Amino acid sequence: MQAAIKQWLASSRQKLASGTLIDADLNQLQELATEPRQLVLYLYSKSSNMRSTLASWMLYDATKPQEPALPSQTPPYDSVLAAVADGWRIVQFPDAKLYAYQGVDNDYLSFEFILERMVQGA
Amino acid sequence: MATIEPTLDDDGVMDFVASGHVVLEGIIDEAFNQHCNELDGGNIDAFVAGDDFTNAVLLHPQVSGVVRSLLGEDFLVPAGGHHHVFEKPHLGQTWHSDGLSGSGFDVTELQCYYYPHKVAVEDGPTMILPGSHCRAVDREAIAHYGDIMGQVSLTVPAGTVALTRYGIWHKAGPKTNDRRRGMIKFSYHRQAEPVRDWRVDFDEIPAYRDRPRFAYVSEVESYRDRVRRMRTWNWLCGQDTDVELRWEKSRPVSQLAGA
Repeated sequence: MQAAIKQWLASSRQKLASGTLIDADLNQLQELATEPRQLVLYLYSKSSNMRSTLASWMLYDATKPQEPALPSQTPPYDSVLAAVADGWRIVQFPDAKLYAYQGVDNDYLSFEFILERMVQGA
Repeated sequence: MATIEPTLDDDGVMDFVASGHVVLEGIIDEAFNQHCNELDGGNIDAFVAGDDFTNAVLLHPQVSGVVRSLLGEDFLVPAGGHHHVFEKPHLGQTWHSDGLSGSGFDVTELQCYYYPHKVAVEDGPTMILPGSHCRAVDREAIAHYGDIMGQVSLTVPAGTVALTRYGIWHKAGPKTNDRRRGMIKFSYHRQAEPVRDWRVDFDEIPAYRDRPRFAYVSEVESYRDRVRRMRTWNWLCGQDTDVELRWEKSRPVSQLAGA
């Protein structure tokens, strides 16, 4: 980010000298100076394989107002791998030891991948 | 005293064992629906226990027929209830279960939702997750879940009653409008020992006929669900819940080699 601000300063000094610095340039600086925000995406895969289809999903986006959205039966991605291909980083992989095979009682949804994406602005 | 007749047959009970719910759409009289629409939100024990509600809803032949099928003779009729009312847009409740979900193979309590008016998806309908009534979870630890494949939004006509096995995962869905959405919740309880005394055409107790897996269920979870459903079915029929799996019917080779 600092490199981007240095580049902005060099460019803006030239604009200032030529009288072409405008409000949009300051908006750009504001965006560059804002710390990136974390988006968190929970994906529940049908197995520990990242290519498996999804059973459930939830996006937590703190950069936007928290407003109700209607339920959906369309996953945001076909798989965890597809989310990674779109730029999401995995911050927690499912731990096989959490999924005991004994007994007949199902409990929590499996298999839980937690992903993040850092975004500028807002 | 009038007899409450069961309305479910073997297949109906087997469906319930798998899904944990029955929905009876538009069965309650419209005039009574209108009356209930005017109730304030909150505790309405006295109203639910009163004769009007008891006759119009609690002992409605279709409602009580399902209850009789699943809870047996002389079940306990609710003496109270709660009117859940949502009037403003909201994010929706988080997924949760009431009480202890997943415990045992029994069916001893039916928690019911009565909707005195039509519910559209924008109204923030109750959402349920079929098959989740057998999942043993801490209700606070499923609160971060979002959309789940196979979830059902109860978008229903006025006068609908949904009956669920206590413990099914549910929530008030996201509400995007200002229209008042109410739901009256109450529970029936079992007294009788379980026995196959619902509608039957023959005396011999059939083996449980498994139902398709739900969309959110993984392979191994479906195996567990199958065993659990068989055990629940056996419990409802008053049988030993230790079901015999297919491999347990295999014969020792020593019995066959010399035959």
